[in-house]
Amino acid sequence: MDADPLSATLAALADPTRRAILARLAQGETTVGDLAAPFDISLPAVSRHLKVLEGAGLISRGRDAQWRPCRLQPEPLKNVAEWLETYRRFWEGSFDKMEAYLADLTKGDPDAPKN
Amino acid sequence: MPPRTDVAEPLHGASLPDDELLLVRALDAPLPLVFRMWEDVEHRARWWGPKGFVCKHLEQDFRPGGAWRACISSPEYGDSWHGGRFREIERDRRIVFTFAWDSGPAGGVETLITVTFAEMNGVTIQTFHQTPFETVERRDSHVTGWSQLLDREQAYVEARQGGTP
Repeated sequence: MDADPLSATLAALADPTRRAILARLAQGETTVGDLAAPFDISLPAVSRHLKVLEGAGLISRGRDAQWRPCRLQPEPLKNVAEWLETYRRFWEGSFDKMEAYLADLTKGDPDAPKN
Repeated sequence: MPPRTDVAEPLHGASLPDDELLLVRALDAPLPLVFRMWEDVEHRARWWGPKGFVCKHLEQDFRPGGAWRACISSPEYGDSWHGGRFREIERDRRIVFTFAWDSGPAGGVETLITVTFAEMNGVTIQTFHQTPFETVERRDSHVTGWSQLLDREQAYVEARQGGTP
């Protein structure tokens, strides 16, 4: 799939069903059958979603062929949160500067450009 | 902008990080001037980058499809190059553009930014929304794929109905 892990995580998170599956797994490990129950989709469709999540490292699955419980792997989610936090700092800081600059332009230095 | 509702129901207190950013500011300045903060390179270079950074380089071709490129710098982190492309521009209303860092942990991960402007009681409300670009594109392409499929099905059903007396 994607070359870099962050893109793979973001692509996996882009789908509402996959987000819901992860939210369910955040409450504890469970089987594919139990995962599929609340959704109006087939088991093969759930399996495809699980493959994407597994590929992105967001879940792991047990080895038992009969009962392969799915477990949430939160590590990539931390990367998403950190990535977003970096951007939040970037923009909040930039907009603080924009506000100060606008204040200079509109009321401060009379020689400052009005346009 | 309404909060996303597609994941609210099954969460039940579990915490998934969001993958988008929404920042709203009320700015005490006329709307056309706030718009020029983005349009005009000289204005934009004055505020671009967080505290402790200076904007060393900024160039932009401010029109739909036009590229922009910038470098911010701080003593601690050195130079950080980044850029993207403008996708939509509506004067004094909204600007849509892409943003990606050249390198670093999130290097090459393209994001889509929508900034909208509105005047209210003498202040300018600036709404900023950033979301992963690739996933937005995929979401949209899926929607297109499904609607095309449904259109085909519709045509097929209508053709069959037309064929039976």
